[in-house]
Amino acid sequence: MSLNVLIVDDSSVMRTMIKKTLKLSGLPVGEIFEAENGAVALERLDEHWMDLALVDINMPVMNGIDLIEEIRRRPAIADLVIMVVSTESSETRIEALRNMGVDFVHKPFTPEMIKQKIENLTGVCADAGQDDSPAVPDSGPDF
Amino acid sequence: MPDKTTALLFRTAVLTFEELGFLLPSEEVDARQAAAAPSAMVSLDFVGPFAGTLLLRLYGDLLPELASNMLGEEEAPPLQEQLDALGEVTNVICGNLLPAIAGREQVFDLGEPRVAAGASPADDADFGELRAETVVGLAGGRAELSLYVRAEVKV
Repeated sequence: MSLNVLIVDDSSVMRTMIKKTLKLSGLPVGEIFEAENGAVALERLDEHWMDLALVDINMPVMNGIDLIEEIRRRPAIADLVIMVVSTESSETRIEALRNMGVDFVHKPFTPEMIKQKIENLTGVCADAGQDDSPAVPDSGPDF
Repeated sequence: MPDKTTALLFRTAVLTFEELGFLLPSEEVDARQAAAAPSAMVSLDFVGPFAGTLLLRLYGDLLPELASNMLGEEEAPPLQEQLDALGEVTNVICGNLLPAIAGREQVFDLGEPRVAAGASPADDADFGELRAETVVGLAGGRAELSLYVRAEVKV
């Protein structure tokens, strides 16, 4: 089983850093998609099956909070596993994110932090072995 | 002795340059670092319990090293990505600094980093009241950081 991952961040450098972290993590990563804001992320989610989204908060056009709320409103993608990767340090906002079923990694992060959080969130381990098939559930999404 | 806000600004900048940029910041700025020419400037607006701007001015030829360190590449990326890297550094400094000043329960929204190579017309802009400024020595250059506050909201 491999994970299709969507990275949503307005910084191309940060998207590249996260992508490299994923590739070096040993996690079974399938395709990696990128979006520079929430609106583009929704387009990617319409086009492709994702197992995990790594989302920044402060972005132009559509920020991470609005994106997560929209994802949770759409039945086809409402259960998407989401991890916020942000500078956000407000306990108020972090608690609100957790109430939306979202986990959180603080910037600056270490590769180990990202890896452990993904393992915890998805149940997929770094030593799970590489497999090209995406982690789509047997029943498929309920479109 | 620096006040608390200045100390927080310095400490947050040092940690970010260390952990995100893999640079070795210093409190002391030597003659070479002090003489370095301006290379880029970032301004980042924020709103929350107080509103303002964090300004970061970078001096010396640090952009290529900073960006290649962040990307884990030996060769520096194009200038636009170098500037993007500096914008992200500023974003991380600001995002960590503001709750450290105002308290972890406070919520701030950060704007998009505005990054310009070299000197910028924004040098002359009115960013508001200067609340803290600090300098961090970095390899052959330095970073100057200034925190401006425009409006304070009573909470």
